[in-house]
Amino acid sequence: MKLPKIVIPYNKTLLRSMSGQIVAVRVKSIPQAAEAAAHVRDSGNALFCVIVEANSPLAELALHDGIKDIPLAIMAPAMGKFRRVTAILPVLRGGNIRIYLPCDRPDNITSLRLLSSLGIHCCALFAPGETNWEELADLMTYAVLERAPHAPIEPFEFIASSYEPSSYLDWGRIFFDDPRHFLHLDARGRVALSRREASMGDFIAAGIAEIAAADEFPAISERINSWRYRLAENHPCAFCAGWKICLGRFAPEAGEDGGCAGFFQEMLDVARQRGAQRAGGEELRVWQP
Amino acid sequence: MANILLTTRCNRSCPYCFAEREMAGSDVDSLMSWENLIYIADFLLMSGQRRVSLLGGEPTIHPECVDYILYLLERGFDVTVFTNGMLGKSRREEFRRHLTGISRERLTFVCNLNDPLQTPAPHTERERIEEFLSLMGPWVSPGFNIYRPDFTLDFLFDAINRFGLKRHLRLGITHPIPGKGNGFIRPAEMRQVVERLYSYREIFEATRVSPGLDCGFPMCKFTDEELGWLNRFRGSPHFRCGAAVDITPDMSVYHCFPLSDYQRRSLFEFDSLLEIEEHFRQLRQQIRVEIAGIFEECDGCRQREDDVCSGGGVCQLLNRFVDEAPVRIPEIEHEIAKNRHPL
Ligand code: SF4
Ligand code: SF4
Ligand code: SF4
Repeated sequence: MKLPKIVIPYNKTLLRSMSGQIVAVRVKSIPQAAEAAAHVRDSGNALFCVIVEANSPLAELALHDGIKDIPLAIMAPAMGKFRRVTAILPVLRGGNIRIYLPCDRPDNITSLRLLSSLGIHCCALFAPGETNWEELADLMTYAVLERAPHAPIEPFEFIASSYEPSSYLDWGRIFFDDPRHFLHLDARGRVALSRREASMGDFIAAGIAEIAAADEFPAISERINSWRYRLAENHPCAFCAGWKICLGRFAPEAGEDGGCAGFFQEMLDVARQRGAQRAGGEELRVWQP
Repeated sequence: MANILLTTRCNRSCPYCFAEREMAGSDVDSLMSWENLIYIADFLLMSGQRRVSLLGGEPTIHPECVDYILYLLERGFDVTVFTNGMLGKSRREEFRRHLTGISRERLTFVCNLNDPLQTPAPHTERERIEEFLSLMGPWVSPGFNIYRPDFTLDFLFDAINRFGLKRHLRLGITHPIPGKGNGFIRPAEMRQVVERLYSYREIFEATRVSPGLDCGFPMCKFTDEELGWLNRFRGSPHFRCGAAVDITPDMSVYHCFPLSDYQRRSLFEFDSLLEIEEHFRQLRQQIRVEIAGIFEECDGCRQREDDVCSGGGVCQLLNRFVDEAPVRIPEIEHEIAKNRHPL
């Protein structure tokens, strides 16, 4: 297995200490994004993308033509007023940009649909305990089956287009949350398996140099295979129809119905329908309006 | 064409209002949601539609009216907003900031204006409308509802010149809401209406304003000379019933305001606008099997057979059934019976 891509906070010293890596760099604002992208490229590392973890709504971000060539993953708490989004629509449509919105608020689920309908690639962030699965299911059905022109909404598009009936599917990479594809560093270069673990100080190595091959590194391979334990443990997930495309990501406690099972079962059905459409040679529509 | 009702509320009470039934029967807080608007936009685009009208109640009351207009424009629709022009200061400011940069080909307001003498309004109402017209004049086509045969149009020509409005006057006749006993132009008054309209011919010509007729005008009430005059303006006039499909905030669809109780359905029952139009075409046909048109002459009339004139509005026919003999179609009779006056 190749070494995964590295997700780091924007830190010039840290960047200088690495070379030959493929790097996703985290920043707080759009002006910082352009600067960070330039520094990654100058540091002898390759830029995978800039992750903008914004505190303000998408509509308030100072997006401009100058960032068109930077691959951007913009994580905003909300979309904001549509009238203000219209001012940045040309950049959102013309750039290499994906918008992430958390689905713990119903208006964000609507905003994702709205952005997608305008040809903007976006992604739903959802977590156990705070998701309205029914509304999410509506969004997912729209994302995968709606025939009117619209841009992909992840992770649904990824799941629907990558699902193979004969294998399991892990789509954590869409959220930079899969150690096969991404490892997370803190400002001192310590390595964690996920963004959350990096912020909680839960590290697996003191530096990336300690990890020669990811699949041979015990903490990484253990994480990659951790889903298997649920099967052995007789966890409710082991009997869930949606397991193949969820792998226990939202694992409810025994006896609990978190609503996730119904959602992922529906997602599987929708993915199968999409597979059937493809097999039938049905033309997929261009999404850009 | 489709009309999207952003809200069923209105901030004015015109004596001839056709939307009265829809507003009376609705939840006062009924507002079009973003989810439904996106669904409708997808539905219309997939039906091959590129034009849409926003209605109410008064659509500009909707708190996100500006955002909805901008969204529909971004989806590639040309948008017409039917308004009474009574916008508050902050809404006007929103319009100024966000809508005055939009091309007049893509965004039009049809502002329904009332004669200040025949339908007097409080000073504040008039002031608000004038401020709206001063701001958005070049985007506005004036609209006028004829609700009495002795109407006057002079004030409209004044408004067109004063505020630089589009030189197209949209003229509607007020229709009956079956069983509601509202004021409307009766078939027997149609000729008087046409004569009155034609008496303004010279002013239309001198001011280069074109008249546009809404649904329900009967062709035979125009003389050849009057028809010739109308024909000189943008394309030939139409004498139809069945203009557009109305979609409410709760996703009901109906034929038009006066027929809002008749074979009303949910938008989700249809796959395309064509299907909806067919559904309502059948409704009109069912009614016209009972009675061809508003005049006896409609039965066997050549213009009707050639589909040049519909024979007046179905609303007029239904209004007659309310007080006259029952119709034979059970579903329509059921709706009519609800509105029938007790003997
Ligand atoms: S969807 Fe199924 S597999 Fe996934 S967390 Fe829920 S119960 Fe477990
Ligand atoms: S169909 Fe009726 S209203 Fe129309 S022109 Fe003929 S007689 Fe007149
Ligand atoms: S029934 Fe026909 S004439 Fe009457 S309002 Fe509706 S569309 Fe117009």
